[in-house]
Amino acid sequence: MDVGTKILTVEDDERIRQAVTLALEEEGWDVIEAGTGESALEQFTATPADVVLIDIMLPGIDGFEVCRSIRRASDVPIIMVTARADTHDVVAGLEAGADDYLTKPFAPKELSARIRAMLRRARSTEPGELERIKIGELEISADEGLVLKSGEELHLTKTEFKLLVELASQPGKVFSREVLLERVWGYDYFGDGRLVDVHVRRLRTKVESDPASPRYVVTSRGLGYKLQP
Amino acid sequence: MFRPRWWRGLFARVTLAYAIGSLLLSVGVAVFSYTLVAERLLTETDNTAQEQVWLNSTDIQKRLQNTKSLTEEELDELVLDWLADDFRTSNLGDSIVIPSDGKKRSTLLEADIPSDVRSAVQEGEIVQKRYLGKTDQGDIAKLYIIGVPLIDANAEYYEVVPYAPLEKTLGDFRNILTGVAFISSIFGAVLGYYAARQAVAPVSRISNAAESIAAGDFDTRLDMEVDPDLSALSKSFNEMVEQLSFRIERDERFASDVSHELRSPLMTLAASVEVLERRKDSLPEVAQQAVTLLSDDLTRFQNLVQDLLEISRLDAGAVQLQLSPFLLREFLENIIAQSKNPGIELLFEEEDNDLAIKADKRRLAQVITNLIENGAKYGEGITEITFQGIDEDVQITVEDKGPGILPEDRMRVFERFGRISSDAGKRASGTGVGLGLSLVSEHVRAHGGQVWVTDRIDGHHGARFVVELPVRMEEHNDEEMAV
Repeated sequence: MDVGTKILTVEDDERIRQAVTLALEEEGWDVIEAGTGESALEQFTATPADVVLIDIMLPGIDGFEVCRSIRRASDVPIIMVTARADTHDVVAGLEAGADDYLTKPFAPKELSARIRAMLRRARSTEPGELERIKIGELEISADEGLVLKSGEELHLTKTEFKLLVELASQPGKVFSREVLLERVWGYDYFGDGRLVDVHVRRLRTKVESDPASPRYVVTSRGLGYKLQP
Repeated sequence: MFRPRWWRGLFARVTLAYAIGSLLLSVGVAVFSYTLVAERLLTETDNTAQEQVWLNSTDIQKRLQNTKSLTEEELDELVLDWLADDFRTSNLGDSIVIPSDGKKRSTLLEADIPSDVRSAVQEGEIVQKRYLGKTDQGDIAKLYIIGVPLIDANAEYYEVVPYAPLEKTLGDFRNILTGVAFISSIFGAVLGYYAARQAVAPVSRISNAAESIAAGDFDTRLDMEVDPDLSALSKSFNEMVEQLSFRIERDERFASDVSHELRSPLMTLAASVEVLERRKDSLPEVAQQAVTLLSDDLTRFQNLVQDLLEISRLDAGAVQLQLSPFLLREFLENIIAQSKNPGIELLFEEEDNDLAIKADKRRLAQVITNLIENGAKYGEGITEITFQGIDEDVQITVEDKGPGILPEDRMRVFERFGRISSDAGKRASGTGVGLGLSLVSEHVRAHGGQVWVTDRIDGHHGARFVVELPVRMEEHNDEEMAV
């Protein structure tokens, strides 16, 4: 475990904040606490965290806004905490820039697992295997964490990058949502497929010339996605 | 189901009432005007005849005076001459003269003279009468007869006037009136149709509004200004909707408030207990046992709260399925792997290997998991799970090896907290709160499917739960999947 990995926890309920901080510190993370959206943004500017945990139900600036503000400045992994899984909140949070979400009440152990998955580098276990992949105008350098389109660098978040590298590992092959959830997010089979859908949507706005009719990241059979060689 | 007969409907009744009303009215007017006109015309005919007869009778009486000495032939000639003359001038009908010799002489063929008229005239009375008799053409028709005794000449004079020309006029008149009555009742029916439509329109507006409210659109209101007579109804209807949506909102808010209120302390508890669990080894043994109990029951409590929240959300109608496509075989394999129940066999036909469905994965997972847990708790464990594509549906069966479920309990098991009678050694109520199967049935229903339970059909004892869902995706060409 990375020593000194900083986690910014944004939660307005003090007791929950205390308990979560306690549990996260037990797991070995450094925790920075914030009780409001405003102080979260201040804290983040002062000491950039490695992972941000945001409860969307915040007084004042809500979680979506905090998420958007942080995302404008940084590609730090963001985990949202929502009340329920079956609301539009999840999609709205993902579209605001969150990489993953948890529903309350969650087990801190589960949160730790999510954080570890977020921090895992793309394809870090097999270095050198895909030094550079060229597909059309796209050039992906997994080791450097770079994506070029017609020679210009694209700004992807860590999760978007991992997703693209995963698809690029076997161009033309269809990846089901379940496979992508496991490889990119570290979920088992029962992860939420909307994570994949929303991230593919966001990835397309960056890599595609016309995101409405994608050239590279193509939906297949409705069951999954593939990178069109 | 009760089906109202169409003619009981407001629409049909108003239309019919208008049609009958206008029919009755126009028939009444027609009959009245016909009677009036007919009587007028008859009286006029009678009067004309009477005047003519009066003139004629004076004339013929003069001529017949002092004719006692004339022979029959001379008398014939005299009378027939006069009759010819009379016919030319009056042209009424058949004039009949019976001079003193009692022989009838007439203008045309002899018409009958009713015997009562004859005898009255012979007694010196002037008689007029309408009757049915033979005409000069030989058929029976309505006739008018005036008989005048020519006392001075000891003779009789009759004028028989047929109503035939008048009858024809009246017949035409009758036809016209019938036509008018017919047309006006059609107009009445059309008018009634439109009136009914006008009258029914607000009712159908209300019924449309009620339908869309029932479908969950609580923003539906009736326009107030449409009709002043109906504004009271619209007002109370709108108030009712207002009250209803207020209550539903309140219930939904309550459910979400409760969920939020329960969630926060549960969150704190979960995080704190986890810290305790991590440090369990440094606790005295009694405290360790307490932490284990606390941890286990916290999990149970969390599951229960989650089920309750799920149910309350389903009740509030706030459920939106998160549909996504996936392979059913893969899905069930993962469920079984996760259930820590390695004895479960997954059976399917080769052709269903790549059966793809589009469903809410989380909910469907809860359905199958709850069925497995139910089987483990009450059915001595699940033996096999099968699935099969049947047209647009997929059927999943979950079988256990327990005592089965009594036929009378097979509906009740899906009710909330619907634990069943444990008689005859059938499944006894266990520790679980009976929400699992009711969630199963709610989730299946939300997918538009159905779930039921029977005995196992392979002859062994045990319950067989069948889930049928209309969620099958159409076939695609196979593509190479990354694994």
